[in-house]
Parts: sequence; C-alpha cells; structure tokens
Amino acid sequence: MSIVTNLIIASFTVPEKIGVTPQSMLLLLPLIASITIVYKATKMPKIKFASFVKEVVILFGSIVVFMAATALVLGALAWLITE
Amino acid sequence: MPWFLKVKHVLFLSSIGLLAWFIPGGGHLALNEKKHAIIIFVTIVLTFCAGLYIGSIAVIDPVHSKPWYVAQIMNSPAVAALGRISTAGDYTVYGRPAEIGQIYTSIAGLLNLLCIVNAVYWAHLRRTETEVNSNVDSN
Repeated sequence: MSIVTNLIIASFTVPEKIGVTPQSMLLLLPLIASITIVYKATKMPKIKFASFVKEVVILFGSIVVFMAATALVLGALAWLITE
Repeated sequence: MPWFLKVKHVLFLSSIGLLAWFIPGGGHLALNEKKHAIIIFVTIVLTFCAGLYIGSIAVIDPVHSKPWYVAQIMNSPAVAALGRISTAGDYTVYGRPAEIGQIYTSIAGLLNLLCIVNAVYWAHLRRTETEVNSNVDSN
C-alpha cells in the first residue's frame, strides 16, 4: 500500500481532538446542511439547481434560527433559575 | 390484481429497497432519478465519512453501543464489516469525538433510511400510475 493510502486509513483509526467548547457547537452546521439537502432531495420530484439551492438555504436558515432561538430561551431559563 | 402480479410488485419494491440500502441513492438511480441519486449518495457518504474521521472507526461498536449501531447499519451492509474490524482491533474513542462521530454516522444512516422509504414509495407510485394509465387506455 502506498503512503497516501496508509495515511488516509490512519486518519480514520484515530479520533480527532475536540474539546467541550462553545466552538464545538459549530459542528452542528454541516449536519444540518446534510439533513436539509437529503430531505429536500426526497421532497422535490424534479430537481433544478437554482430552486433546489433556494429551498435548501431557506430550510437550513429556518432550522438554524429556530435552534438559536431555542438555545436563547433555554439559556435565559437556566440563568433565571440559577441567579 | 392477480396474485402473481402482486408478488412481482412486492419483489420489485423489495429490490428497490435493498438497492437503496446497499448503495445510498441506488434506489433512486434504479428509478432513473440520476440527480436525486447523486445528491443522496454524495451527502450521505460525506456525512458518514465525516463521522468516521471525527470519531474514528471506534464509533461503530456493535457490542457496547447497539442502539447507535442499529442506526449506523442503515447506511449500508458495509457498516457491518467496519463493525467487525472495529471490534477485532484495538480502537477506542471517548468524550466529545465519540459523541459527535456517533451522531454524524447515525444521522447519515437515518437519512439513508428516509431515502430507502422514499425510493420504495416512488417505485410503488410509478407502478400504480402505469397501471391506472394502461387501464384508461384499454377502456
């Protein structure tokens, strides 16, 4: 096996170092993107690039805004209870 | 509908479902929906590989994380082979990487389950529409 192949396989056998930090929440975004893309691909009978991208962006934005709003409400609740 | 046509229809739907399970997007490709198939394949494979990259193949653990494994195996039967490699080897992962890796790989599996159901539903609809159209033409 070549060195490149070995390196690729090795990168899947050792976990990445991710701390419990607020930045680690950003890993949510690619997941939301993939959920949105696959969901829209199953919902649209005919796919045209422009309309598909538009639909995906709208749904992606709605999910992010809703999750941010939920996080704000939960954060405020936690702050009220603990203060 | 005669019984042999029903059996043929069920076999057709099962083959579409199996194809969609074996290769993400394969069911849609069999239904000649190339754009859907490419989008589904690329997205699910990338999500699954991202999960494996973040948490390593140790996130596929059929022994200690059965509920996650059930969702992960929806990606493809190839996950079972990865599970065997993972349990046979000395791979470990803890904490945040394990959590995120499991979530990514399991969500990829559940998305593929959605695509399997969708492909089977479209296959059923097309067959039913073809029958209705042929009945209308014959009348």
